[in-house]
Parts: sequence; structure tokens; C-alpha cells
Amino acid sequence: MMVIERSNQEWRLALESDGDRQGAAIQDLRAILIRAALYTFQHSLASTGQFDQVDIQQLAEDCAQEATIAILESLSTFRGDAKFTTWAYKFAINIALTTARRERWKGVSLDQLPDQEIPSSWFKQGHLGDPDLAASRSETREILSEVIRTQLTDKQRTVLKWMVFDEVPMDVVVQHLHTNRNAIYKLLHDARRKLKQTLLDRGIGAADALDLFGNKG
Amino acid sequence: MEESKFNTWVKKILATEEEEISCSLCFDLVSEYVDMELAEAEMPPILHKVKAHLNQCQACQDEYQLLHELARLDAAQSD
Repeated sequence: MMVIERSNQEWRLALESDGDRQGAAIQDLRAILIRAALYTFQHSLASTGQFDQVDIQQLAEDCAQEATIAILESLSTFRGDAKFTTWAYKFAINIALTTARRERWKGVSLDQLPDQEIPSSWFKQGHLGDPDLAASRSETREILSEVIRTQLTDKQRTVLKWMVFDEVPMDVVVQHLHTNRNAIYKLLHDARRKLKQTLLDRGIGAADALDLFGNKG
Repeated sequence: MEESKFNTWVKKILATEEEEISCSLCFDLVSEYVDMELAEAEMPPILHKVKAHLNQCQACQDEYQLLHELARLDAAQSD
């Protein structure tokens, strides 16, 4: 489908107008959002083999519809700092990627993931030829395990385990806990601040990290 | 957790900033960030906060990468 080239202002005026002009702009918007959603699904779902092209096309059209509504509702916040198409793509990508993540984790219950009480068992240490490096990394593991065990709240510990150790996507955690991304991000940010402060207090800083956790080993 | 992932995680812990922007603010700013990045323009300080957030947040990072690629393809087409 051929989409008319528009400047930022032309997009905004056309979408805010009515009648045929608005109809044509919404149709063009929907076309570029389907493209963004399809691109997202091709990078996130196609490789799983769970969905054929017909399913993916349908999911992309549903996401484009949802993104169109979100964009029309947010149009007044478009400041023109980015190209309109870049600004619009992000809505479709956000909705499509959230859908893809939830589809991929649909059959998994977070409450049934392995429950490992002792944080040190979360870390596997690989074989390192350099004994000093191995000892330093081991010490860091012990420090982090201790902070996770003694300074984090139960909720911080649970979310950290899901997201960092079990690699559960944030959107799946958000859905499970009936919350939003900002709340989960803040929870993990607070946890990282505690972990960082303790590492710094024990003399492990950013410069050491390059030596300890850089390219070696 | 595998060794290489553990190493990346420790580096992220040490890169933690006292103040970091939320996922919502990152979403608001990421389109501007991508376009300025593609134009190789000098970014205002707030967009440096976007970069720091993307380094810590896999959900926003994944969306950023797809957005960057789509915007890059558009820019290449209009050249």
C-alpha cells in the first residue's frame, strides 16, 4: 500500500481534521503501524515456530489497531522533536513486543519457577585459569549473595530472581503482579542501589569491575 | 546464572545512577533519541538519561533496538 509522504505538521493536521482527510491519514497511519508490528513479530515470534504467517499477520493488525487508538489519544503530546513516523512506530513496537513476550510465556507460571532459597546457588562459577581472578569474582558473588539475602525486601528478591536469574520479561512480571513497568523498574533500581553501595563499601568499584568482569575469563 | 551474564550484571550494578528516569519517560523520549542518534546530532543532557535507562532496562532496550532499525531503514529509503 502506498503511504502519502507527510511532514510532521501535515500528519498532525490531517489526523486532527475530520471526514475524508482524516480517514485517509488514519488509513496511512495504520499501514505504517502494521509494518512496525510485523517487523517486531518477525524478530520476536517467528523464530519460535509457535505462530504461522497468518497468525502473525492477524496479531500485527490487532496491535496496529490498538496503537492507532493510543496515538490518536496521545496526539496532543507529540511535540515534533522526532519524525512523526518514528514517534508513531514506538507505540506499535511497544504493543507488539508486549504481546509477543506474553504469548511466549503464556504457559509458564512464575510461582512454579524453581524456588532457590539461598542466593549463592543462583550463581554458577565457571572455571577460571587465573586463581586471583577466580578468588575476586568469588568474593563479589559472596557479597552480592549476602546483600540479596539480608538487605533486599522479599518483593525485591523475588522480582530480581525472576528477571535477572530466570530471565522472565518485565511485561510478564508486570502482568503477574498487576502493576506497571515504572513500579518494577523502581523496585529493581532500589535493589541495584543497595547492591552497588555495598560493593563500593567493600572496595569494589567501577575501575575494578573492568579488571574483574571485563573481557577476561 | 552463567559467568558471562553474571559479569554483565555486576557491571550494570556498578553503572547504577542515583537518579534514573522511569520507563514512561524513556518511552516519551526514545523517538527523539533515535532520530538524534541517526542524525549524529549532539544530545541534550536528558537524552543521556535515556541511554543510561536503556543500559539497565531490557524491555525498553529491546523496543529501542527495533525502533532504531525501522527509523534507519526509513532514513536509508528517503536518501
